[in-house]
Order: sequence, then structure tokens, then C-alpha cells
Amino acid sequence: MAEERTAVVELRRDVTVWGSYMWGFADVGADTFVALGLVFAFSEGAAPLAFLLAGTVYILVGLAYTELASAYPVAGGGQYFALRGLGDFWSLVAGSALVLDYTLCTALFAYFAVTYFSHFVPALAEATLAIGPFEHVRVGLALATLLLIAFLTWLNVRGMRQASLLNELIGVLIILMESLIISMGLIFAWKPELLMAQWTETFANFHPRQFLYGASLAIISFVGLESISQAAQETRRPATIVPRTSIVLVFTVFLFAVSLSVLTLGTVRWEVFLDERNIGRSVAIVAGHLPWIGRVAEDVTAALAVLVLMLSSNSGVMSVSRVAFSMSRYDSISSWFEHVHPRYRTPARTIVIFSAIAALQVVLASLTESAIDTLANMYAFGATLGYTLVMVSLIRLRFTDPYTPRPYRVPFNIPIRREGTIIHVPILGIIGLAGITAVLVIVLFTHEIAAVAGPAWVLLSSLYYAWYRWRRGLPIFRSVPRHWEKEQMEVLEAAEEYDLLEQYRIALAERDRWRRRLNHEAGTIVE
Amino acid sequence: MSGGEVHISVVGVVLAAIFLASLGGMLWWMLHPPAPIGPAVARAYRGVSALKRILVPVKGTGYSDRAVELACRLGQEQQAELILTYVIEVPLSLPLNTPLDQEERRAREALERAVELVKLHNLKPIPVVRRDRDVGRGIVSVVADYDVDLVVIGLNPRRIAAGDSIGRGIETILRRAGVEVIIDMVPEE
Repeated sequence: MAEERTAVVELRRDVTVWGSYMWGFADVGADTFVALGLVFAFSEGAAPLAFLLAGTVYILVGLAYTELASAYPVAGGGQYFALRGLGDFWSLVAGSALVLDYTLCTALFAYFAVTYFSHFVPALAEATLAIGPFEHVRVGLALATLLLIAFLTWLNVRGMRQASLLNELIGVLIILMESLIISMGLIFAWKPELLMAQWTETFANFHPRQFLYGASLAIISFVGLESISQAAQETRRPATIVPRTSIVLVFTVFLFAVSLSVLTLGTVRWEVFLDERNIGRSVAIVAGHLPWIGRVAEDVTAALAVLVLMLSSNSGVMSVSRVAFSMSRYDSISSWFEHVHPRYRTPARTIVIFSAIAALQVVLASLTESAIDTLANMYAFGATLGYTLVMVSLIRLRFTDPYTPRPYRVPFNIPIRREGTIIHVPILGIIGLAGITAVLVIVLFTHEIAAVAGPAWVLLSSLYYAWYRWRRGLPIFRSVPRHWEKEQMEVLEAAEEYDLLEQYRIALAERDRWRRRLNHEAGTIVE
Repeated sequence: MSGGEVHISVVGVVLAAIFLASLGGMLWWMLHPPAPIGPAVARAYRGVSALKRILVPVKGTGYSDRAVELACRLGQEQQAELILTYVIEVPLSLPLNTPLDQEERRAREALERAVELVKLHNLKPIPVVRRDRDVGRGIVSVVADYDVDLVVIGLNPRRIAAGDSIGRGIETILRRAGVEVIIDMVPEE
């Protein structure tokens, strides 16, 4: 057995229900600002359908995350679930997909924060340059994005984490603003005939490949489910709080995305989003169509979007260090990444390295025809790959670890008795797996850049992993034995989930007893 | 742009109402979680749920029938198994395997009655007949062999009313069973 590391059970902050919800919303809630214009640019009048399809898959994945995050309230998210469900190697694959997504989250959201900011400073979006074979490189947006990433990196290295209160305040403002835009827009500006006209035009000249491409991009409206598990790590009584906050997070984001796309289709011509500058401020454009307060709403929406996108970008910088820490703790990457800065007490190495990767992504994406499209492409790949592995983990853990209590269980299960215990075969989990796998296949077939760069990233990560494990004398494709039961009990105790802890102990005792009882026969025994 | 033109439609108003009601309803539900459970309460609550094998000594009397019924109620929710035990006390003057027809018939009848009672609750009865020199010791040995969680004993109130102690057998069970024991005694009218 490899050198065993003792489980680090962090002290939990007393994150409130609202705080836990906002933690997720600050991350996922910003996605709509990014995806709306993009999806319209490709799916045209069928954009609401694209959001609905992607949203349905996202709900199934979200429910899986809810179950796993409340059963295993440990930071690491998909990487940890894959470790528990599929073992070390697949945990590395999930972790590399997550790291890719977090660096892209930093790059993409910083880029979008700058494009929304260009609503106030149009010169930023208009500044273009021809660099060798690359024409129309948007240097203004690219340089401003690089500056923003550098600023966020500096902030995080210095340990000036965003205040939870600021998170909550901006989240509340976004919810209020989006609700105002949607409700006012539907009541006073929405034209059903415009929606029907655009819908009919699209289906009269339907391009399935383009629609599927848009639908696969719509999945980025729903990226950030990892925040659920990170919130679980920091929340007291996660078994009680996390299922509520995450289910509501999943459904509110779905509600916002679908409602906003329906509102947009009945308010604005989709062709508006063929201009990349408008893709980068799509929600503000919709807000501008509100009667009476249009101008003010447009400016306020753009300003709030800049703030929430900066928070999301910052959450990418912060979260990548958490995943790297978790990967290092479970022997997927070197402990070199765990190094803490002696002065600032932050994982400075991880922050700088992965922020540099994010900056490189911005530079490379800026050389392509559409930086936004390229970054979103890759973002969709990382998310779908990670989600696919989480869905497989959910199903497998139902069989391999039926003893861990699930305060929330994805509904619609077939109970089967196996080895003295009831195993709940998740029907929705299997449907969700089929759905997210289909999205992954669509991404690989329709996203030219992601189809090459995404797998290449995973391959490079796997090569590094193989080299690192070989050097440490650890198995490459097999898993290192671990004391999961002991760790699970420590986690539940630290989370103050005493009821779950009792359930877990009883379930383990039942299992042990069942094994002992195999020799006993039921029936009347006369001795 | 100072804003778009006003255009009100019934469908739009309905959609806006659905949107706001859904959002409000979800947030309200989220903000009202159940109260927390302390470690002691959790242990008591889950402890009873963990009673998966309940032993009832049966004698064919109304008191032991009542104990069987009580055990069934306790085990109902978690679908516990009921170990219905009749101990044939063999005197020291006889070998342990001596046939005792009358006593064995009594055991069969008592167990049949108890099994019927258990089946009324759709629970699994496991009837056991054990021979031992002492009733208490016999019960204790079944507790160990069957990995029992709880023993429910029906007590005859007349024995207590007559100034008896609760009996040597019960005392042995209380001292040596090593599991939870419930003694049920209904005072005589």
C-alpha cells in the first residue's frame, strides 16, 4: 500500500442556506450572460429548443451532483466522485477535464466581462489588428482580458478572496435584475408573433448540424455544478442544506436560461447576434428593449454582467487550486502543487501556473476567427467529459457503495437485492448518462477545435500522470488502496451530520453481520 | 435607445406569472429546511431503526403473545426478523438430548401461535427450539448464535404481585445477553 496520507478534515464555515445557494449562483448564474448570444448565433430561431434540450440533460446531471455532493460532502467535486466510483485513473481524467474547464472558465468569463465592459467603452471591441496570417485579431479585447486575468491572479496570490457578502450581494442583484428583465419583458415587450415568425423561418430552412452545434454550446449555460460540491465542503449539515440549495440552483438556472431565450426570441431578431460584439453583451441588448426603462436597464445589466462575470472568472482561478490540491492529495499529481506561499499562505504556484494557461488560451483563441466561439467550444468539451464521468460514477457507486447514506437520491430507481442490501438502480441516472454522452459526441463531431485540443489535453495529462505514478512506484491503471469508510465517517462527523453517521455505521454493521450470517440457515432448528 | 415599444399579450402575462411563481416557490422551499438533529437524538432515532433481529421467548401464554405483538410493532418499519424461541429445560438428571414428547409438543404449539402472529404483520418469523439446563442461559445462547439486537420478554404480573423476584431466567438474560432487553408487564385489572 502506498504511503497513506491522513484525511484533512477542514473546519466548516457556517455557510447559510442562502450563502450556499449564492455560492453556486455566482458561478452558474453568470453562464446565461455568456451563452445566450452564442446559442442564438448558431441555433437561430430554435435557440429556446436548444436551451430546453441542453437544460434537460443539465437537470439530470444536476440531480446526480446533488446526490453525490450530499453523500460525499468533500471538495474536489467530479474528480473526487470519479475517484470513489471509478478509481484513480478515471479520477485523473475527470480532474484534467475539470482543470481544463476552470482555466477556460477564467479565460472565457474574463473575456466576456471585458466585452460587456465594451458596452461603455466601444473602442475596446473595435480595436483590431492583422498579425501575420491572422486578420482581425481583436487586440483591444484580448489585451484587456489578459490584464484582467493578471489582476485576478495577483489578487488570489495575495490571498484577498472575494468576500462571501459581496458574492451574495451581487447574486441578489443579478436575480432581481434578470427577474425584472424577464417579467417586464414578457408582459410589456414580448411579441408572440415575432417568436412564431422566427421559429417558423428557422424550421423552414433547418440546418440540423448547426442546431446541434448551438445545443451543445447551450450546455455552457449550465456549467458550474462543481460549485455544489465545493459549497458542500464548507457547509454545516450538508445533507440537509445541499440537496435544497442545489436542486433550487439547478432549476432556477434552467428557468432563467429557458425564459430568457423565449423572451429574446419574441423581442429581438436573432440576426442581431451574428455580430460578435453583440454576442458579448446579449443580455444587455435584450434589456435595452424594455419599454420606459430600456436605456437604464441596458446599462445596469451590462454593469452587473461585468461584475458577475469577473466573479465567475475569479471562481475559476480559486477553484482550480482546490481541484489541484485534491488531485495531489489522492496521488494524481505531484505534491509540488500543494505548496503554500510562505508569506501569503496561498497555493501561489497552482494559481500562477493555471492562470498562465488561461492567459495562453486567450492569446490562442484571439488568433482564431471568433475567440468567444473557440473558448466556448473547449469549455463545452471539458464540461461534458467531466459530467459524463460523474454520471458513470453515480451509477457505479450505487453498486459498489450502497452503504453510504444518500440524503438525496436521484428519483425513479429500480430496487434490487444484492449481498444482503438493497441497491437502487438509477433509471434517470442511466437516461442522464445517455444524454450527456450524446452531447459529448456532438461536441466531438461539431466542434473542430475542441475535438482535437480537448482530447490532446487529456492525453497530455494522462502521460504526466503515468510518469508521476511510475516515478513514485504507484500503479498506473489500478487504484491505490484507501480507507474510504474511515474517511467517510470523519467527513460526516466534521459536517455535523450525526444522523447520517449513525445510518452509515448501522449500514456497515448490517453488511458485516450479513457476511457472518451466510453460514446460518433460516427455519426451525431443533438442537 | 430609451427603450422598446409597449406590446402587451395575454400569453406573455401568463408566462411572466408562471416564471415569478416558480421562482418564488422554489426560493421559499429552499429557505425553509428542517431543524438539525443532535448526536444523541440521532443515535436514539437510528438505534431503533437498526433493530433488525428481535428475539421473543415464547411460552404459549397471553403474556408471551403480547410480547410477540409488541416486538412486531417495534420491527415493523425496518422489516425486522423475529426469532421466536422456546427453551426446553432439561433437568440435570437427564442427558440433554432426552426425548421429552410433551414438552416438544408444547413448544411446537406455542411457536405455531407466535409464527401466526408474526405473519399477520408480514414479517419473517424464525422459530427456534433450544434445549438447555436453564431457560435464561438458553435464550442467551440463541442471542449470540443469531446475532440478535433486542430481546422482548412478556412477564406474568402475578409472579411480581406474589412478591417474587422477576425470575432467575430473566436475570440471566439481563446480565449476560449483552443486547437491549425490553420487559413487558401489563398490570392485572
